[in-house]
Formats: sequence, C-alpha cells, structure tokens
Amino acid sequence: MRFRFAGIVSLGVLIASSAAFGTSPALKPFERGTWQSVLRGHAGRPVLVHFWGVTCGPCKVELPLLGQFAKDHPDVDVVTVSADLVPNLPAATQSMLDKAGLSSTENFIFNDGFVERLRFEIDPAWQGDIPRTMLITRDGTITTIEGSAEIADLEKWSAQQLSKH
Amino acid sequence: MIRTGLLGMVACVLLQSAALAQMRAPQVSEAACEEPTLRCATKATPAFGPDGTLWLVWMAGGRVSVASSQDAGRSFSVPTQVTTTRLNLDWGPDARPKIVVDRKGGIALAFSTFRDEAFNGQVLYTRSIDGGKSFAELKPITANNESQRFEALALDQDGTVFAAWLDKRNRILAKEAGQKYEGAGLFFTSSDDGGTTYAEAKLAREGTCECCRLGLAFAAPGRPVVIFRNIFEGGVRDHAVMTFADVATPGEVRRISVDDWQINACPHHGPSLTVAPNGTYHVAWYTNGKARKGLFYAHSRDEGRTFSAPMALGQPGRNPTRPFVLAGPAGMMMVWKEFDGEKTSVQMTVSRDDGETWLPPKTIASTSDTSDHPLLVSNGKQTYLSWMTKADGYRLTAIEDQP
Repeated sequence: MRFRFAGIVSLGVLIASSAAFGTSPALKPFERGTWQSVLRGHAGRPVLVHFWGVTCGPCKVELPLLGQFAKDHPDVDVVTVSADLVPNLPAATQSMLDKAGLSSTENFIFNDGFVERLRFEIDPAWQGDIPRTMLITRDGTITTIEGSAEIADLEKWSAQQLSKH
Repeated sequence: MIRTGLLGMVACVLLQSAALAQMRAPQVSEAACEEPTLRCATKATPAFGPDGTLWLVWMAGGRVSVASSQDAGRSFSVPTQVTTTRLNLDWGPDARPKIVVDRKGGIALAFSTFRDEAFNGQVLYTRSIDGGKSFAELKPITANNESQRFEALALDQDGTVFAAWLDKRNRILAKEAGQKYEGAGLFFTSSDDGGTTYAEAKLAREGTCECCRLGLAFAAPGRPVVIFRNIFEGGVRDHAVMTFADVATPGEVRRISVDDWQINACPHHGPSLTVAPNGTYHVAWYTNGKARKGLFYAHSRDEGRTFSAPMALGQPGRNPTRPFVLAGPAGMMMVWKEFDGEKTSVQMTVSRDDGETWLPPKTIASTSDTSDHPLLVSNGKQTYLSWMTKADGYRLTAIEDQP
C-alpha cells in the first residue's frame, strides 16, 4: 500500500514536473548505439521506425497521416526519429509531432554532430534522404521504404504482422 | 518499501530532469565551436582572385565572414564580418555561402537564411569593392517573399555575375488554382555591375527537386549551364542540365541519365558540374534509382544533348557521397567522400583524356568527425582540395598531379 502510495506520489511529481517544464514526453536523444537499443527494446513486436525532419516538405505531409496510423494501430510500436542534420531543433520537432498526433509515441531526435556515423549504424547505404520508414517484423526482418510511405502499404504490412501472430 | 518508492520518485524526477536538460542544452553541434571564426565554421567556400589571392567565405556562429590568404591557405587575413547580427543561416546539408571574385578584385557573395519557422528561405547577396575590407548592406536577390534556397553564383568572362536558385513562389498560385505543386522552380537572374544589383528574377523551369544544391558553370561566354535534380514524369528525381542561350534566356531541359529514382523525399544531395576549356560538360551526381544506385560521373561533348554512360564512383560499401568535379590545369579532377564506420576520407581521381578514362582513386585526406563537402578550387596553375572539418579545422591541400 505504501509502495502504491509512493508510486502515485512519484507519478504525480513526474506529471507535475512535466507540466512545469511545459513539455510533452521529452524527445529522446538519438546517439551512438541508440539504434541497437531501439531494436533490442522492441524485439518480438512489429515496429515502424519513421525518419523525418522539420525542413523536409514531404515529411510535413506524411507526419499527420502517420499520427493517424499510430492511433489506429496500437499493436504496432511506432517510433519516430527526427533525422534532419544538426543543428536539429527540439522545439520545432516536438511542435510538429504534437500537431501530427504523435506526442505519445517514442520520439527521438538526432543528437550527434557526426551524422554520417549515426546513419551508418542504421543503414550503411543511407545517405540522409528523408522521409524514410523502416518496418521491422517480430522476427527482426527490416523492410525500408524510401520517401513518403503509402498508408495503404503500411496497413497491409500491419495486417500481415497481426495475421502471423 | 516507502524508501524504495521515494528513491524511485527521486530517480524518476532526476532522470526526467536530466533528459530534459539534455535536450534543452545546446544541441550537439556539427561545429567545433560557436564563434564566428574559421575554426568554428561548418561550411567554407573558396575562390581564387585574379592575382592569385585565395578568398574564403564561411558560416560560423550564425554569421558569414570572409578572409583572404596569400600563402595558399596557411594563414588568413583578419576576417571581415559580412553579417553584423546572428542570423538563422540555412544549415541544410547542401547549403553554403557562395563567392565569386572578378577581374577587378570585386567580390560578390550570396547565401541563404531561414526567414521563418516554417524554414522558408531567403537568398541574400552583397558585394565588396574595397578588397574585402567591407561589404555592402545585405539585400534579397528577389523581392518575392516566398521561399528561395540553394543559390549558385558564376562569373562570366565579361564580369557578369549569373545567379540561379530554387524558388517556391509558384506554389501559392498552384494552390489557389487547386493544382498539385511539386518541388520548386529553378529561377535565375544576372548582374552586369559585378553583383551590386541584379535583374528581375525569371523562371527557367518549374518542377525541380527542392532540396539539392545546383551546379553552375559557363558553357561559353554569355551561356550559363545549370545542373539540377529535376522531377520527371511520375515523380522521378533524376538529373538534368539546362544551357542558357544567354544570361536572360533559358534553354531546354536535357536529361543526363535515366536512373529512375522515383521518390517523394528530400535527397539533400545535389550534383556537380564543370565545363572544360574545349566545351565538354563533366557532371557527377548521386542517385538511388531503380536503374543504378550510388555516385556517378558522365560527360557530354554536345552541350548536354547526349551523355556518356554513367560511370560508378567509389566503393559501394563505404557510402560514397558529395561528388565534386573540376576542370583543372592538370586535367579533370574529381573528389568525393567515403565513410568506413569511423572515419570519413576524401577520394580523388584524375582524367587526362577529357573524361574518357580515370586513374584509380586515391585517399587524399581523412577526418574522424563530421565534415563539410569536399570542394576543388584552382588558381589556373594548381588545383586544391578545400575541406572544412570539425576535428581538424580548415584545410587547403594542393593536389599532386600523379595520384
């Protein structure tokens, strides 16, 4: 009981501190090793990792569609990574995520000045073009969609993941 | 138990505060430092003056500065600040300040800033007529208030400065007409007073890719040629050249190769162009198309009507990027970057038969942190690699004739 009480207090303080900072759940820094952590953290579940950026025109169109997809598919772990080259802009990034309905997904922002190295860890052939979506099945098979994804394709992939389960 | 809870509570708050602090602290930067000095630059662009002076323009700490070197980059003059306040300079991967130096020593500059929170750009220009001691007040290259980015400058033999850039002004008209608008327009202008004033901007081509640098050179006196990533039928972002009839008259769009890169995205990776004294166009570009993927080179001996078969550059497993080609005194030279997972190297190759064959590539520089695109610059006698790196600062390296 005490534990539960302490937990509630803890949660309350956390919410209060979050409110005091006036932020959505903080953007997580994407650094060396983060990609492997993401893969490990979501292992065994269907995951959609979306790379985008605040200065990318097609990304602005796609992001709200992805927000709706995330809402409609709680069974798919949606992860976003703001991969514009540094200096990246946390405030602009968070604002666009909020407007797209992606406040509560797991959201990262590139946080390493050596972006070639970050990209190399994710996919050695990736030159930085965004948007880019990586679909990861339960068994870890990765399919990469370069450019804006068709939501119909995401729906199809999602249905396949559920039917396999 | 309560101890566990309190500890958990404190840990939660601390962890969250740490995470917030981390994201509120200045972002990890591609710059070595935040001052306007050359050491802190993220982008540096060189040009030789007619007297052999090397001029360098760079962006650092939100400012644009210029300095000169009389000893091939070993030392530089006291920098002149072109911008007096910190600006939101266009930091896109393919953006950089541009510089041309005319026969009288006049210096024309252009660069882009982000004009608003939606990252719409504005191309600004200025000029120095006192040997870089001072620069005129910054002016927009066009009065239009939409978005301009990725400007390019080139100097004609008669001193005319030609400028081209990507401009999204017509998206408003398209939207009002209920039409789909893709990419941006290729706009251009010229200055017959050395970059003091520019003529009214004109459209050369609508529907070009909006986030890649342009390449610009002169095919012959009075005839600029631009290379750009075009948007062909079906959203295919392949490369094209356009040779102007004169500085006010655009020409046809001529496709360089059918790479078939159909993508609705920002590749952030523009092409490079140089024109040899005999008029051959030499081009290098990046694609990720269905027909081919990677860096490629080709040449045209008929002003872009036909191009040689694309020649792949670099090692596919080493992510070759950012090609730059230049007609130098010792032949055609090309550089690009490769990355091995830890270090970035600059690869160089040379052709002594106008692009028909190229010598095996050689590593001419490397760095262990982030770096600007490798550029080539020539003073007519010697070609140099110009490369800004975070770890090792600015380098101007004479390229040996024999790789």
